[in-house]
Amino acid sequence: MQQEVVLAMLAKEPSHGYELRARLRQALGPLGDAMNDGQVYVTLARLEKAGLAASEQSAGRPDRPDRKVYALTAEGQQRVAGWLAEVSWPRPDLAEFHLKLIAAAAAGLADPLAIVDTQRRELLRRLRDAQRTALAEPDGSPAGLLLEGIVLRLQADLRWLEACERNWTPRKDHR
Amino acid sequence: MSKIRLIGRLVGRDLRRRPGPALLLVLAITAATATLTLGLVLRGVTNHPYLQTRAETNGPDVVAQIRGFGPARSQPGPHHGPPPTQGSVSHAQIVDEVSRLTHAPGVTGYSGPYPVASAVLRYGRLIAPVEAEGRSQAAASIDQPKLIAGTWVRGGGIVLERTFAEALGATIGDRITLDGRPYQVIGIAVTAASQPYPNMCFGAGGDCVFDLHDNQIPANANNGLAWVTEPDARAMGSAQAPLSYFLNLDLKDPATATTFASRYTVAPNGPILIAWQALQSGSGLLVQDEQQVLSPGAVLVALLAIASVAVLAGGRMAERIRRVGLLKAVGATPGTVAVVLLAENLALALIAAAAGLVIGWLAAPLVASPGAALVGTAGAPSLTVQIAAEVVVVALVVALASTLVPAIRGALIRLSRRLPVPLLLGLRLVARRPRRALLSAASVAVTATGIVTVLTFHATVHLQSAGSAGSLGNPAFDRDEQMLAVLTVVLLVLVVLNAVCTAWATVLDAMHTSALVRALGATPRQVTEGIAAAQVLPAVPGALLGIPLGILLFVAANGGGAVATTAPPPLWLAGAVLGTLAGIAVLAAIPALAGARRPVSPILQSETA
Amino acid sequence: MNDVGVPVLRACGLCKQYGRGEGLVRAVDEVDLDVASGETVAVMGPSGCGKSTLLHLLGGLDRPSRGELWLAGERIDQLGERALARLRRDRIGFIFQAFHLMDELTAAENVELPALLAGRSARWSRRRAAELLERVGLADRAAHLPSALSGGQRQRVAIARALVGDPQLVLADEPTGNLDSQATVEVLRLFEDLHSSGQTLVIVTHDSRIAATADRLITMRDGAFVDETRLTGGSAGNIGFLAGLTE
Repeated sequence: MQQEVVLAMLAKEPSHGYELRARLRQALGPLGDAMNDGQVYVTLARLEKAGLAASEQSAGRPDRPDRKVYALTAEGQQRVAGWLAEVSWPRPDLAEFHLKLIAAAAAGLADPLAIVDTQRRELLRRLRDAQRTALAEPDGSPAGLLLEGIVLRLQADLRWLEACERNWTPRKDHR
Repeated sequence: MSKIRLIGRLVGRDLRRRPGPALLLVLAITAATATLTLGLVLRGVTNHPYLQTRAETNGPDVVAQIRGFGPARSQPGPHHGPPPTQGSVSHAQIVDEVSRLTHAPGVTGYSGPYPVASAVLRYGRLIAPVEAEGRSQAAASIDQPKLIAGTWVRGGGIVLERTFAEALGATIGDRITLDGRPYQVIGIAVTAASQPYPNMCFGAGGDCVFDLHDNQIPANANNGLAWVTEPDARAMGSAQAPLSYFLNLDLKDPATATTFASRYTVAPNGPILIAWQALQSGSGLLVQDEQQVLSPGAVLVALLAIASVAVLAGGRMAERIRRVGLLKAVGATPGTVAVVLLAENLALALIAAAAGLVIGWLAAPLVASPGAALVGTAGAPSLTVQIAAEVVVVALVVALASTLVPAIRGALIRLSRRLPVPLLLGLRLVARRPRRALLSAASVAVTATGIVTVLTFHATVHLQSAGSAGSLGNPAFDRDEQMLAVLTVVLLVLVVLNAVCTAWATVLDAMHTSALVRALGATPRQVTEGIAAAQVLPAVPGALLGIPLGILLFVAANGGGAVATTAPPPLWLAGAVLGTLAGIAVLAAIPALAGARRPVSPILQSETA
Repeated sequence: MNDVGVPVLRACGLCKQYGRGEGLVRAVDEVDLDVASGETVAVMGPSGCGKSTLLHLLGGLDRPSRGELWLAGERIDQLGERALARLRRDRIGFIFQAFHLMDELTAAENVELPALLAGRSARWSRRRAAELLERVGLADRAAHLPSALSGGQRQRVAIARALVGDPQLVLADEPTGNLDSQATVEVLRLFEDLHSSGQTLVIVTHDSRIAATADRLITMRDGAFVDETRLTGGSAGNIGFLAGLTE
């Protein structure tokens, strides 16, 4: 979980750890299950250490992390503002796969085409699952939007894999 | 701004934006109205051929035929043969009678008396009885026959009356014999002074020209008419075939000619007087002159031209109701939009009508050939108010029809919802191409009109005069019938071609629709039925319209003729209509059937390519 | 419906070729295919690989040069035009890329058309059309002309039309080829819906989203089948990874 995300969630108002966790889950919908619960607390601790957030002991039992109330520091606010203004996009990871194919072909370790086909099958299965999940979401839910994004990226990746397939297919003789 | 000015402005703007279709519409209607004008004007010219002839030849108000039995006393020399038989008329008597007539009250002038010999003319194999009228070379004041070819009488020369010449097949320069004496044909002329008019050679009694092997001229044969010099005529008189005399009279009041004639006729041996009214409506069979045939022909062609082009252009213009964005953007209500479009079409139609009238009037003298008219040069063709009105009405009707195209289309679509599937498909196809449907309807109407006109012609001539003998062998008559038949055949060919092309175009057009519908499960038969229905449906009103139009056309062309128009029997009409419709259905079914078995897939795929 | 054991569609050695000699083109080359009842099969491949031609052969819109074709146990590649027409009317439904709706008919009338062609009464056809338009979510647009509908809506009308005869088999040729992503989702939903109601579907597409709705995915190249995949398994956990959630 990116630090900036948790920071930004704090920007609304100081919150308990479990409150943050609940809000995150809601925003992610079914994907929230993939989120590691403990991660939130770890991230909060890191943020505190870095001086971007500060915690206060709320009334109740001391020394229990989930009783702490976290809030943004001035530095933290600045960081959030900067993050919101950033325009970098999630990095694609295509180079690795591309090099995998070339290495396999060069060393004769495996048939690149088979690698492509296997990867394609896997992506198709994931597409199917993501699509099913997306369709099950009610219209306009934020999670549904996220799922749509996943589906579209998978689609784009599949298109690239088709191109790879075309490229790596040995030319057949015309009968 | 007043409504009218607004509409005027909108029309102007609309026309400026798309001058193309507007121009096309104007051109098409102009062509049609010009042809229509031509036909109507020419019809006016030949409507009263007798009166024209009478005017040009100074025709007489009364013609007196004075019989003489006896040799011409004015000739010196010995008498031939026996003395005059009983009942004959002496020369003095003839002079008396002439004087009596020329001095009768109401007579303002006379010419003659001209000696007329009865002779037998031989020309090649042909033999004909002829009345040879002796004339001087100087022009007579009354009844100077008008030459349409050659020169007037001179010694040894003979001028033939026009229909007589046609019946003989003789032309200028031919040699004939009269009672054995040789003559040369030096001229051909027409006259208003002899009966029966207009075709002197063919009376109710029988023909006037016979083949030699007949040997005998039948007793009831009619005489042909010819002119020779006076001395030549007198020379042909004999005791067996005495001369008669023709005397032409002019009256102060030509309308009283009939009473004058009946008062002064002395039957059986005295002069027989014939008034000009009787000459005009003579007992000859009706002959349709070329122009009277040509003008209905011209009208039919004009109608086809209207159908083909004007509706096309007009329909295209009317389709702009869909693109009414410009007008709507200006704030016009749908009612105003409709009025604007109608105003547009009407304005263009009026312009075209005016142009057509002018062109037709200017072209008429060029078309009216001297040889065709009975008289000679047709007089100045006159553009009557009636003709102008008829032409303008036609133009306006076309404009209205074009505007109604989309409305009809909407109605068709609503109608089609209640029908069995092939008819539904058929109506859909018709609604998609209303212009083509109108074109089909119009061209079928034209053929039907042509067929019905021919049927009416036959009914009038054959059925009505079936009783009287001697309706045979009139070459002019046959020629007109032939011409009408040729015209009809041409029209039929045109319409068949049009039907085939339209059907094929419909099939091609409908290829996508029929492929789609077949993909959805329509059998080839259903598709064929739909396309055939699409062709036959617009043809029905066309064919039915042809019946009244055909009869009307014949009546219009026949105007002034001697024989009343007889409508063809209903059986003939029903046969014509059903035959036409059946023909159209077959012509549509064949290409449709051929197309209905082609594989669906390529057609659909080519759309998506 | 038919027996569970008999495949709804069976093709043996299906071939379609054009031209001769040097110019011989094999659009479909020895294709064997079995489609069980209730199955959704997707055929994918690059342009020109012959998948559309294959679909047209399967639906009787075109005749194979060689091979056999069986629909629910009956041989159909030898039938005459009229029998094929009846087949297309009653037992096979078609969905095209270009929708192919008739522009002068309203949505309801378009859906009614196959029923009317089959000789059903006007009333029955209208009722059935209303039912199906309701199912595809266009009940309020029944009286609209195609020109008043969006691309997705038009394709949904086309789908309703394909279902009017309660066909044993529905064939779809690039159903989302002309649609934007919004409309694609509309059609996707319908296909999932059809699938879960037990309709047998064969879809030709190069849109992987549509292909992902299938049980079986066949890849086609140069007229022949080269790959077959069963799309099963997976869970939301994997997707989370794709979202960048787990590290």
